[in-house]
Amino acid sequence: MKRDVIVAVSFLLAFLFIAYAVTIKNVLGLGGEELRPLGEFYLGHAFAHEGLTSHSPEVVTAIVWNYRGFDTLFETFVFFLAIMGALSVLRLDKEQLRQARELEGGMPHRQMDLIVKATTKFVVVMIIAISASIALHGHLTPGGGFQGGSAMAVAALLLFAAFSKFTLERKGLTLRHTISAYAAGLALILATVLAPAFIYGGRLLEINLLPGETGLFNLDVGEYTAVTFGFLTVFLVLGIPEWVFKNVLRRELND
Amino acid sequence: MIELHLLILVIVVSFGFVFSYLAMKEHDLLKALALSSVQSTFFALGFYILAAPDIVLAYLAIAVGAYTALVILAISKTERYEVGE
Repeated sequence: MKRDVIVAVSFLLAFLFIAYAVTIKNVLGLGGEELRPLGEFYLGHAFAHEGLTSHSPEVVTAIVWNYRGFDTLFETFVFFLAIMGALSVLRLDKEQLRQARELEGGMPHRQMDLIVKATTKFVVVMIIAISASIALHGHLTPGGGFQGGSAMAVAALLLFAAFSKFTLERKGLTLRHTISAYAAGLALILATVLAPAFIYGGRLLEINLLPGETGLFNLDVGEYTAVTFGFLTVFLVLGIPEWVFKNVLRRELND
Repeated sequence: MIELHLLILVIVVSFGFVFSYLAMKEHDLLKALALSSVQSTFFALGFYILAAPDIVLAYLAIAVGAYTALVILAISKTERYEVGE
């Protein structure tokens, strides 16, 4: 115990020393008021009245999806691979899925409190509104597709907890629907990436050529859909209880 | 003269460190998860003071919402208490 305290306090002191050196004494040269040429370029071109511009007063979104667009594109693909990996490890075929649903349906049904349910309904509506405003204004105010999508996934998780996965699946939030919506989001992103090259004769991801702010808006909406339903897919697959999973797999062994 | 927002930053991140230490030492995994989400809330405040609202929006939703839910799902498939040294 005493050793732990010494370790913790020494970490804290080291951190305070580094923070003091970097911020007050400016050892690494990160501080200062002057604007570097690269920053000046971004600030000047992200929102301009003439020339190639991203039409985005929010410079962070302009950098993320335009000036450093390929980084974000490949990041989306990495997310896609992660979800496909999870799905392929935990997949069940049609017959097994039916068996799993049967077993889940036979589980004793736990009812949450009325207060919890009513509050959750209000809070979920608020979170969805906030996430939509984060994602759809992504090119005007701080935020963007990924941030809005993860907030939206949290709203769906709240519904999972307050009601049940079974109720949501009966209302139509099944694995097939979430995967289709995920694919639609990815397709919108890909279409926006390819459009400048094939329609306007530019290069891939040169979304400055698209009319007005459609480029950034489309990419934000695509990422919003993709992230929301990507997370939901993983949660739906992981939400199958362990004993149901084992039961179904054991039946497969016995066959 | 130390500026006020830097002082607040140091305090907030120190609290984050304290909570991450508590989360590491906790043997009840669900409690450790709660402590780690408190830590991420403090770090999110730190990001806000560093003028990075984009990071705050993603970090809060992921660290407090999605990450917590994923780890709860993982815990539900194993045991809640960490035993042995």
